[in-house]
Amino acid sequence: MDLGTVLSVILLAPLVAAGLIWILARQRAALAMTLSLGAAATILCLSLWLFFAGWDGSAFEISTEWLTLGSLTLDVGFLLNDLSALMLFIVAFVGFWIHLFSVGYMNDDKARGRFFGGLSIFMFSMLGIVLANNLFMMFIFWELVGFSSYMLIGHYLDTDEAAQASKKAFIVNRVGDFGFLIGIIITYWTFGTVNFNELREVVGTQPQLVTTLMGLLLFCGVLGKSAQMPLHVWLPDAMAGPTPISALIHAATMVAAGVYFLGRSFFLFTEEALHIVAWVGVVTAVSAALWAFAQRDIKKILAYSTLSQLGYMVAGFGLGSLYGLHHGDAHNALYYGIGASMFHLTTHAFFKALLFLGSGSVIHACHHEQDIFKMGGLWKKMPLTTLTFAAGVIAIAGVPFIAAGFFSKDAILYVAMKSSQPAFYLLTGTALLTALYMGRLFFIAFLGKPNSASAEHAHESPWTIVLPLLVLAVFSIGGGYMIMYPVTLQEVMGHWVPHPHGKDHTTMIIISAVASIIGLVLARIIYGAGAATDKVEKTLPPVFAISRSRFYFDEIYGYYVKKVQDRLADVVAFLDTLFISGVLVRGSAAVAGLLGVTARRLHTGSVSTYVWWFFAGLVLFGAYAGGFFDGIIQ
Amino acid sequence: MIIGLEHYFFVSVLLFAIGFFGVLLRKNTLVVFMCLELMLSASILALIAFSRYHTTPGQGLMEGNIFVLFIIAIAACEVAVGLSIIVALWRRNQTVELSEINELKH
Amino acid sequence: MKEILFHSFAALTIVPALFVVMSRKPVNAAMNMLVSFVGLAGLFVLLETYFLAVLQVMVYAGAIVVLFLFIIMLLDADKSPAPNLIRFLASLAAFALMVCGGYFLVFGCGAGPYPEISAEAPASLSRTFGVELFTTYLLPFQLTGFMLLIAMVGVIVVSRKEQPESTGDEQ
Repeated sequence: MDLGTVLSVILLAPLVAAGLIWILARQRAALAMTLSLGAAATILCLSLWLFFAGWDGSAFEISTEWLTLGSLTLDVGFLLNDLSALMLFIVAFVGFWIHLFSVGYMNDDKARGRFFGGLSIFMFSMLGIVLANNLFMMFIFWELVGFSSYMLIGHYLDTDEAAQASKKAFIVNRVGDFGFLIGIIITYWTFGTVNFNELREVVGTQPQLVTTLMGLLLFCGVLGKSAQMPLHVWLPDAMAGPTPISALIHAATMVAAGVYFLGRSFFLFTEEALHIVAWVGVVTAVSAALWAFAQRDIKKILAYSTLSQLGYMVAGFGLGSLYGLHHGDAHNALYYGIGASMFHLTTHAFFKALLFLGSGSVIHACHHEQDIFKMGGLWKKMPLTTLTFAAGVIAIAGVPFIAAGFFSKDAILYVAMKSSQPAFYLLTGTALLTALYMGRLFFIAFLGKPNSASAEHAHESPWTIVLPLLVLAVFSIGGGYMIMYPVTLQEVMGHWVPHPHGKDHTTMIIISAVASIIGLVLARIIYGAGAATDKVEKTLPPVFAISRSRFYFDEIYGYYVKKVQDRLADVVAFLDTLFISGVLVRGSAAVAGLLGVTARRLHTGSVSTYVWWFFAGLVLFGAYAGGFFDGIIQ
Repeated sequence: MIIGLEHYFFVSVLLFAIGFFGVLLRKNTLVVFMCLELMLSASILALIAFSRYHTTPGQGLMEGNIFVLFIIAIAACEVAVGLSIIVALWRRNQTVELSEINELKH
Repeated sequence: MKEILFHSFAALTIVPALFVVMSRKPVNAAMNMLVSFVGLAGLFVLLETYFLAVLQVMVYAGAIVVLFLFIIMLLDADKSPAPNLIRFLASLAAFALMVCGGYFLVFGCGAGPYPEISAEAPASLSRTFGVELFTTYLLPFQLTGFMLLIAMVGVIVVSRKEQPESTGDEQ
């Protein structure tokens, strides 16, 4: 089987599943689940076959012309290299386990057909982004992924909250995509091509063509999709969607698409652009970590945690690339940014999906109770969930050696230390805060005694929910070690990630250990196990208020929309009603009507009048024949 | 004076103008119809005159005359049909005044 | 001699035509039309198309005017009132315009030299007409036949009395 066919099947299997679901299975939940799960399994099997047998690791590209508009040609093609193989593995692997989880989690939902159809469409769109070999194709699938996200966030049709959240997600993404599109156009204009390989060649020979503006505009797409500041506001609201969606889209894959894109187009970023990218990441990481402390909803805490970790990834890319530019003598130095960010993306996909699925298990068991202060004592009722959740918490806190997150965060902190001291201090502080708020979540929700009736009645979830948790837990713990991954993927993971050596190695271990363990211990001390109220809220209200304010981003945007944008929209609407509807449309209709009315008056019914008209015509015709109009009519 | 083509032509034009004058002026449908016939006969006079004067030696020009033959036949049909319509109109409105027959209006 | 004949026949055509337009009674108009057609037939004779002259008298004067008279009698048309002044003046203006235009058309500077009678008129026999009709003009001849048929059918259909609706049950 040649690679092109295999990749096409991987890309199109979920689309076919979605199409079949739409035609056959909109009301038949079992069939929809089978189709969707089958497509996910196909993707996983084919991907594993690729990595273990079918693909030798060398870069593979295939493309066909799709659309030609004048001198512009849009291609459709696949580019399979180290980076896309890694991303493909993550999407296929995590995607499959989440599909399995959804089968169990959504068993009492009435619209399962629509849900699984949307899930398959999302897989199709995400795989399109992963495999795309040029910017235009990637942009098309970028938008498709945004649409799938919109559709799935708004899955619960009867809540207003979900509709608002889906709208917000789509609109905020659109703002980012606007800059993205302009960046793509500038890239095309400068280089004459949008194919990644060709771009890389041209940049190699003429590096002076790359401008900071180009890189920053392309980064706007990352701002939207990966929820960096200031376009981060949609991600917490997106938790209104079902939990498997939060896990798959808003933790593991879609929000990581921005980071993946940075990896794909790393050569289009100048040093100034990389500085800005790094600092945007750092600021996002720090701010989100601060905001997580005032949240009560388990999913919202995880959402802010995702924001923070995405900031880490983006910062890792920026700082790693800067490190590679200045200190790179190894031949992989160019790729340090990609390595650091993609490594963290991988481990984050595992442990964040695990945490979300775990929270889903808890929510399902507590009959849709999401406030952590109303949980508590779940360790007795749901031991497996608690165990796997603990694994996830350890992973995200970055406890040395037993957490995948340790290795990846380690790499990022190392490049931060080497590139920018302020960034290093901020990121280390954020690591401490991360451990702190995740510990808060764990201790309040899982330990202690139950705080409400729904927590009392919780019980362990069925195997379709627990099995994915176990698998992901194994990867969350062991994901830092190379042997967990197929050989063909170890290039990225092994050689592209910057490793500290010697003295630096020990320093990093100590810093990580301190940050994570002190964070967890502090959480236990400050909040206590199974607490019913937030102690910090009681004792330090100003601190709590700053955290809860989330720096007023939503309020500022709301003010802007209501006062500025709506007013402008009203003016435009008025002009539209007046000129376009009124003058142009109704006006032209009125002119036609006027002509009709005038013509109608000619039908007097009196024959004599008609004869007079005859005579007039005769006179005109005679004048024409006599050459009277020769000067006027040529 | 030699009677030339222009004289016959002018008589035809005059007859046509008189016919048209009648169509414009009169209100009785029948009289209007008669004036219409006058116009038609003016045109056949012109045709025959042209046919006669353009005859070249050796080849007689019959086109105009044949045309007139057809016109006479068609005029007969037209009068028949037109008069039957007028009769039908009279049955409906009990009048043949043109100003009374004005129902096909806006 | 020919000029005198021409002018008298022309007068015989034009003057009754004017009376057709001006007569208040329709019967008078029809009679004047008859005289006008006869004058026209005279002009045809001057133009040496004897066949058509006779045809004119037979068909036009004989059939068409008679038909008009039948219908006038049938409809019992009254004496028409005098036309109103504005209408009369407007029509007169149109008439004058046409006559002037016609005069300039015929005798004006653009009218080229008119041909003279240069040859003998073709024999005005039915044979001459027949030859043309059955060879060169066969198609119009057939179509004219159709036209006559259509006219006949049309007249019969249009002048049918409306059938009263049958009401009530059949006993």
